[in-house]
Amino acid sequence: MSPVVVTVADLTKRYGDVTALDGVSFSLGENRIYGLLGRNGAGKTTLMQILTAQQFATSGEVAVFGQHPYENESVLSRISFIKESQTYPSNLRVHHVLRAASLVHPRWNEELAQQLVDDFRLPPRRNVRKLSRGMLSALGIIVGLASRAPLTFFDEPYLGLDAVARQIFYDRLLADFTEHPRTIVLSTHLIDEVSDLIEHVLLIDKGRLLLDVEAEALRGQVLTVAGPVAAVDEFARTGAELHRALLGGTARATVRGDFGPADHDRARALGLDLEASSLQDIVVRLTTATNGSAPSTPGVTRKEVLR
Amino acid sequence: MNRALTVARLQSVAWPSVVGWSWGILASSFLINLAIFATIRDADLEPTTGGLASIYIVMFIACINVITQDFPFAIGLGMSRRSFYLGSVIHFGAQAIGYAGVLYLLSVLEEATGGWGVGLRFFGLPFFLVENPVLRYLAFAIPFLLLGFIGFAIALVFKRWGVNGMLTLGTVALVLFGGAAVLATWQRWWAAIGDWFADQSGGALLVGWPALLTLPLAVASWLIIRRATP
Repeated sequence: MSPVVVTVADLTKRYGDVTALDGVSFSLGENRIYGLLGRNGAGKTTLMQILTAQQFATSGEVAVFGQHPYENESVLSRISFIKESQTYPSNLRVHHVLRAASLVHPRWNEELAQQLVDDFRLPPRRNVRKLSRGMLSALGIIVGLASRAPLTFFDEPYLGLDAVARQIFYDRLLADFTEHPRTIVLSTHLIDEVSDLIEHVLLIDKGRLLLDVEAEALRGQVLTVAGPVAAVDEFARTGAELHRALLGGTARATVRGDFGPADHDRARALGLDLEASSLQDIVVRLTTATNGSAPSTPGVTRKEVLR
Repeated sequence: MNRALTVARLQSVAWPSVVGWSWGILASSFLINLAIFATIRDADLEPTTGGLASIYIVMFIACINVITQDFPFAIGLGMSRRSFYLGSVIHFGAQAIGYAGVLYLLSVLEEATGGWGVGLRFFGLPFFLVENPVLRYLAFAIPFLLLGFIGFAIALVFKRWGVNGMLTLGTVALVLFGGAAVLATWQRWWAAIGDWFADQSGGALLVGWPALLTLPLAVASWLIIRRATP
């Protein structure tokens, strides 16, 4: 694995009775793109706020570039955290915000910033209060990309952005990442849109880490098989069934397991249609399959019957 | 320290609006007073207008905005709380020093021109007459600092503890001041309190006591901001 940039050990955060993060542990390597996935209220934003010293952990340890980020200039100056809820002083215009960001981020690239302003068609002289939701998101994205921080967090940065602008974001992100590699954490609900970008998946549900796995490995791990119920039953025994839909005498099941080519052959021999589940399907199945039970318990099944 | 200066520069990126509000409002207040005095033409009275207070009120509000608006922005960009606090004090202190200098010069000019030719006393403070030039300069500067740190401290209580914090602060203040008023009335201290204020020199009222109050506010603000979240 590449050098470690972030280490999180047994991190817990409570707000009164609410446990936002519950014993989370993982690490992030250098120059990779991570997808931080999970439902609303899963604890993604809290996690990123603690890693950037904007919030305080209840217990557990975090290290960013080997040190605790709180009041640590050498760590903070290497981080860029773009969040959907970011507010700006009401007297600032777009170009003021970019100027401010350029003062703060040592690796700021003005050329890239200006190019992105053009790409997103952002009016530089407009007051931030008068920007639409999409324009505000674009402003955040520009700050996040042009800062070229060695550790960059994007927390649902696309709110209000149209499909074209989102594609520009993904394209620019990948292009700039290729030329200037850095560690990027992308927290998003639009999983299908970013599934090609993400190299490593972190899935959080109800404050707990459900998945910490290479995106490529995950894709092979979860399969959707469809065919006669008996054959599906037969195949599903080799893994953990996450979801099943019945239609007459045929079933369609999402199964998680350590599948290899032999398993694929076996499925075909059983007369089953086989396909790798999309990242979005996997996330949906995993986060709904754990309702009311401990996460990642083998054999957790959620059945629904269609008539 | 470098990062603190970065915060100070951060707060100055839109400097025309920072300077414009304070001096724009003061200038309009001054011009209205000038017009009224020019119309009345009664040079004997020489009252103080109180219009000078406008720039102090604007600066007080600006300091509240530093916490409610600049703090989430600067922390969001990745500044430490220490740098933000130091930078804000530098930024605000520089304004206080500069503005007090301008106000001092205007008060000198006002005296030299016999109240702008119409007996207007806008920048001078006859009630708290301070003759010593250094003390007179500080009499303009220190109240800026006191109001600024009151603004910082109150806004930080809100930032850190929310509405409940503000209500608690309000209740505590009410009980303290109300209790003191009851005590003073009961013990018939009001005359003595009035005498005490009358005995204080202008320098003590505008420089000494405000400076003494500013220090604990600065310390309290620092302690609160250490654990405040944007």
